[in-house]
Amino acid sequence: MARTGTEELRRRNRAALVEQLHRHGPQTRAELTEALGLNRSTIGALAADLAEAGYVQETTGRSTGSAGRPSTLAECVPKAATVTAVEIRVDRVRFALVGLGGEVLERAETALDGADPVDAIEVVTGGTARDALEAVAAVPGLVDAGEVAHSTELGWAGRDLAGDLASATGREWQVVDTATAAAVGEWSRGDAHEATKLLYLHGGRGLTAGLVVDGLAPRGGSIQLGHIVVQPGGRECACGLRGCLEAEMEVFGYAEDIEYATLAAGMGDAAARDGLRRSGEDLGRALGAVVTATGPDEILFGGWLRELYLSAAAPVRSALAETTLPHLRSRLRLRTPVLGDEGALIGAAETGFATVVDRMR
Amino acid sequence: MLLELTGISKRFGPVEVLSDVDLAIDAGEVCALVGDNGAGKSTLVKCVAGIHGVDGGEVLVDGEPRHIASPRDAANLGIEVVYQDLALCDNLDVVENLFLGREKRRGIFLDDDAMEQLAAETLQSLAVRTIRNLRQPVASLSGGQRQTVAIAKAVLWNSRLVILDEPTAALGVAQTRQVLELIRRLADQGLAVLYISHNLNDVFAVADRIAALYLGRMAAVLDAADTTQSQVVELITSGRSGQLGLTDQNGVRP
Repeated sequence: MARTGTEELRRRNRAALVEQLHRHGPQTRAELTEALGLNRSTIGALAADLAEAGYVQETTGRSTGSAGRPSTLAECVPKAATVTAVEIRVDRVRFALVGLGGEVLERAETALDGADPVDAIEVVTGGTARDALEAVAAVPGLVDAGEVAHSTELGWAGRDLAGDLASATGREWQVVDTATAAAVGEWSRGDAHEATKLLYLHGGRGLTAGLVVDGLAPRGGSIQLGHIVVQPGGRECACGLRGCLEAEMEVFGYAEDIEYATLAAGMGDAAARDGLRRSGEDLGRALGAVVTATGPDEILFGGWLRELYLSAAAPVRSALAETTLPHLRSRLRLRTPVLGDEGALIGAAETGFATVVDRMR
Repeated sequence: MLLELTGISKRFGPVEVLSDVDLAIDAGEVCALVGDNGAGKSTLVKCVAGIHGVDGGEVLVDGEPRHIASPRDAANLGIEVVYQDLALCDNLDVVENLFLGREKRRGIFLDDDAMEQLAAETLQSLAVRTIRNLRQPVASLSGGQRQTVAIAKAVLWNSRLVILDEPTAALGVAQTRQVLELIRRLADQGLAVLYISHNLNDVFAVADRIAALYLGRMAAVLDAADTTQSQVVELITSGRSGQLGLTDQNGVRP
């Protein structure tokens, strides 16, 4: 009995060490001892163990500038564990093969020209999906357990994407929504790791949002921001409801041309200025509902919502101030993502690595 | 509080430009200073920067009363001002501008490698991707890039309070967005930022608190999260908004 106990403990510690190196980059044994709260000799044994398994390599590291032998650095071997990450958009598919430690080993992008993205997967990934430990696809829409329940951007409803991808490539796939993936990416590789509840808003050909709690995506964290009704009985939306945020904001025009709209507003075009103001107010009001329901401590405006927020922050925040409780808004940080367009792809890969590390435990 | 101003007054001859102004700024926050032309924004900034002396009131840095008599005093206290007309040297490159007056030396020579590396690290920490070549003369940079260099200078010199006077006034749409993100990142890295602007969208995009000056007096200092655009406009134009703001008008108490 005691043996299985120590064996399990050892496995957990190994996983913790790999995770630490993967997330925070090359570190000395002293730094690892500090970060993991393990004994120095335990770290040594674990590192040697992982080096033998091929996950970790030890190098004579950076000099600290002071006298003495430079301490050895432990770092991940990128090729030891790879994740295939794919981001599907209406007009293109982007791919990255990411190695342990977060290094991007390969990258590709292909335009779809109306083809089904699943058909393009084999080509764009170049067959790497088979050898990768995990394969993750990010899709703009409402995703639940491998199924895309609704996607304005792709025009899908109830599509079993995980199944389709599996039959196209012959391996298992995880499916996440773009906004949630980007939230995971910003939390793990961006600037938002201090946020306990991070809400990422994604502006594409529709508006979606994703919530991560302590860097993890809870089931049901995928939010259909664009289909929150802000004007009951308002304009008809493609989803069948009336007065959805997407329809009221005329999202599709902005997705194409937010740059033009803000430039025109800046030059004094009254219609453009009025349009931006109303869009900002509608977005703020819809956000008010989301904030009240989920209580995030940071909101990131991604996709073209970055441009909209920076051009129309006054109406967004005014509407938010009028529709949320003081307690919820006082600690709320509104930011733009640092990873920019890369967030979803990086986050999809990180979602895969979370599974890889979980399996090592 | 990093910087605390209490009861600041300033006269130019018979004109009282600032009267009994209170303002406090803490590390890690962006405080926006708004007001109409002639409300006293620039004068207040110049008092903090050591260009004007104050006629009354106290300036406290880290809770201690300080006398800021010259821009050098301000710099020694970690206060850095980035002006509208960016004080950069056109004929020098980005690195030379960043280190102007505080060059790193190795012996009697300039340590160019160390300066270039430090400059690159600073820009990286601010997620600046718009400046590719650090050895290009500043004259060849766009307005937004010049503004970025001017702001990065403040970070490089370990300033604690950065004062930005209308940093986006002369910039295009895309450049304005980048500078706004940069301002926010400065504060998130733990600096205090005093940000002066006429554009309320820009103010709401980055500010944690909004201070409105009206005819030389502080009408109100509000949490940006609790404020609406129309309240700020009212404070700027009339000094009051509902229960907020100045309680008397032009010296006449109701």
